[in-house]
Amino acid sequence: MRKTAILLIALLLFATPAFAKVKVVATLPWIGSVANEIGKGQVEITTLVKPNQDPHMVEARPSMILATRNADILMYNGLDLEIGYLPVLIESSRNPNIQPGKPGNFDGSHFVTVLEKPVSVDRSMGDVHPLGNPHYHYSPARILSVAEGMAGALSVLDPSHADAYKANLSAFREKVRQKQKGWSALSTKGRRFIAYHKLFEYLAADFGFTITAYVEPKPGIPPSASYIEHLIETIRQSRPNGILTTPIYGRKEVDFLAEKTGVRGIIIPHDVGATPGAKDWFSFMDQTLSELVK
Amino acid sequence: MKIWRRLVLVPSLVLTLASPSLGQDIEARLKALEDTTRAQQQKIEEQQRLIDELKSSPLGGAGAPGETETTARPTPGEPSQTAAPVQEGTTAKLTGIFGGSAMTNPYLSLIVNTFFYGSNLNQKELDSRTVPGFTNVPVGINKGFNLESAELFIFAPVDPYLNLYANIPVTESGTELEEAYFVTSSLPGGLQVKGGKFKSGFGRINAQHPHAWDFVDIPLNYRAMIGQEGWADTGVQLTYLPSLPVYTQFGMEVLQGKNDLLFNPDGTTPYAFTAFVKSSLDFGENSTLLFGPSFATGKARITTVADGTFFSGTTDLYGFELVYKWKPSRTESVVFQSEYLYRRQNGDLTDFTSSTTNPLKRIQDGLYVQALYQWERWRFGVRYDVLDLFKKEFLLAGDQQNFGNRAWRATGALEFNPSEFSRFRLQYNRDDSAGNGQINNELFFQMLLGIGAHAAHSF
Repeated sequence: MRKTAILLIALLLFATPAFAKVKVVATLPWIGSVANEIGKGQVEITTLVKPNQDPHMVEARPSMILATRNADILMYNGLDLEIGYLPVLIESSRNPNIQPGKPGNFDGSHFVTVLEKPVSVDRSMGDVHPLGNPHYHYSPARILSVAEGMAGALSVLDPSHADAYKANLSAFREKVRQKQKGWSALSTKGRRFIAYHKLFEYLAADFGFTITAYVEPKPGIPPSASYIEHLIETIRQSRPNGILTTPIYGRKEVDFLAEKTGVRGIIIPHDVGATPGAKDWFSFMDQTLSELVK
Repeated sequence: MKIWRRLVLVPSLVLTLASPSLGQDIEARLKALEDTTRAQQQKIEEQQRLIDELKSSPLGGAGAPGETETTARPTPGEPSQTAAPVQEGTTAKLTGIFGGSAMTNPYLSLIVNTFFYGSNLNQKELDSRTVPGFTNVPVGINKGFNLESAELFIFAPVDPYLNLYANIPVTESGTELEEAYFVTSSLPGGLQVKGGKFKSGFGRINAQHPHAWDFVDIPLNYRAMIGQEGWADTGVQLTYLPSLPVYTQFGMEVLQGKNDLLFNPDGTTPYAFTAFVKSSLDFGENSTLLFGPSFATGKARITTVADGTFFSGTTDLYGFELVYKWKPSRTESVVFQSEYLYRRQNGDLTDFTSSTTNPLKRIQDGLYVQALYQWERWRFGVRYDVLDLFKKEFLLAGDQQNFGNRAWRATGALEFNPSEFSRFRLQYNRDDSAGNGQINNELFFQMLLGIGAHAAHSF
């Protein structure tokens, strides 16, 4: 009788993981979206940062610590973008699975070639990321690399569904390929833009346009009135194709510059969910690129 | 090429090991090794191609948008190929818990806290200004320019199981070791141990460093019952975060009891014990509530009840913290915070001037409430402190003692934060905590500057 009970308990204990989904905690919405494409029904995704939040300035809310505590895998952008809260989350989560060096610690930046890695840096340059520009989620080629990394990481954690992850990755790759045809047909090449923050460098590199100046005099430092005056002059002379920003950064300044110079202000989603149309990573890219060439 | 490599690798390694009985096992391991190598090779080739593409592109980008990029990518082979590079990649390019800057191991940061202080009282009056009935310790700051401290923080993982933190404030009077502790990172079951010298987890403000406070000075109830620098002590802390639908953290500590106002100034009567619970709820996407009770108890051997006295007995301290944060956007936020403290001390008070010892029982309380509103780089804060709110008992030999009017203080502060690493704060206090009705109108202009590694902030 007792043996049966023990056996039953043991069965229950060991049987659950087989049916349980892999608990993915993603820091940013785009990471959650890509993880969803790769994990589909096998994963349960919690996204920590909301689309209206500035990814640079997030605070480790206790609910985030709780979500991270139960995670099988923590997926993050890396390149110190989450430096203000991720160390607290990882330590306070008390979760051995997601500590650095464990398979459950997934840094997306490990799978991409980083742009703008400074040779030397100090904070007089503003909020420069010492490991390079962290906003690689606008680069389809890099997202594909990250997706491959995700499929690998999920297969390590959940080998029984490795085939499913592989199939999802193939489907994702195919979809990116299809989308790329449309995206690269857009006339982005050779265009020149002004940008509020150093957010669109990967987009420019992948789609052949240039960013000639920034509204922020230094990354993370808002412009002064005299700097705005100076920018108006620059914009009037160089006539760029638009002034780029996102729903949360410098709307006021960009609107003002657009009004003064007649150059179009362009609002691009900074992440999945930042604008109503950007429902997943694909529609996020669709919207981003169509805004550029409108 | 793959077959060729297998042909060479397998026999040569098997021969070297020369253990036929393990042949099958080795075969399997070699297969795994080989898969890994191949996957690694593929990854390297892939990265190289990407680098070449980037180089050849006139814009330094991926050239013709993605199209060629994507089609050139090889289709994946066996499942192990997709699996292997992750592990390899992760270990090869490991970035640590505190971020990736390779230059700093350990991570260092220095925070300079300096302020100008003005008051309507003269320096002599300030130096003798205490909170009668609570503490005989004056604040001890000078009119004019003050260098509060340059706080040196050093932190790094010790190994995969422990992280180490040290906080060494350097002041004009010398250097002290304010904190030096480890925190475990890999205990199972939601448990965590902290050990060494650290700020007790009692209450909310106690564990915060002065540079992280929302005002220049500590709330009045802390100053009157715990001390103006809070309670940092040597010992161990155990915290437990169960997997509940609501964030609830349980903690307990065994500490040496080194505290001038609560237990003893030099740690000679161990131990003091604490217990606390912190719960948190989110309301929608923008609002968070954090609250919970705290408790501390221990033997008391203190000289801070009044000048020329010695108190021997027990201390019980109860606290309740409440924080509500509303952050609708990156440019705007509101934080409301309050803590209530209730202290009970029971024992004997020896008066050295009259050489008498009498039983003393004091039960006192205090509260602060504060609110902060942030708009872009500006922040505006108000705070109200009051002592003897619900309980005012100071029974010496059974007789209630009177220390004058109820102590209170009102504060307003305006901050400008040019960047995440600098802060300028102008603060005004109207302080009526001396019991004699003498008002201290205080003005602070504070500057906080931080350099070095980016330390993450807790909620």
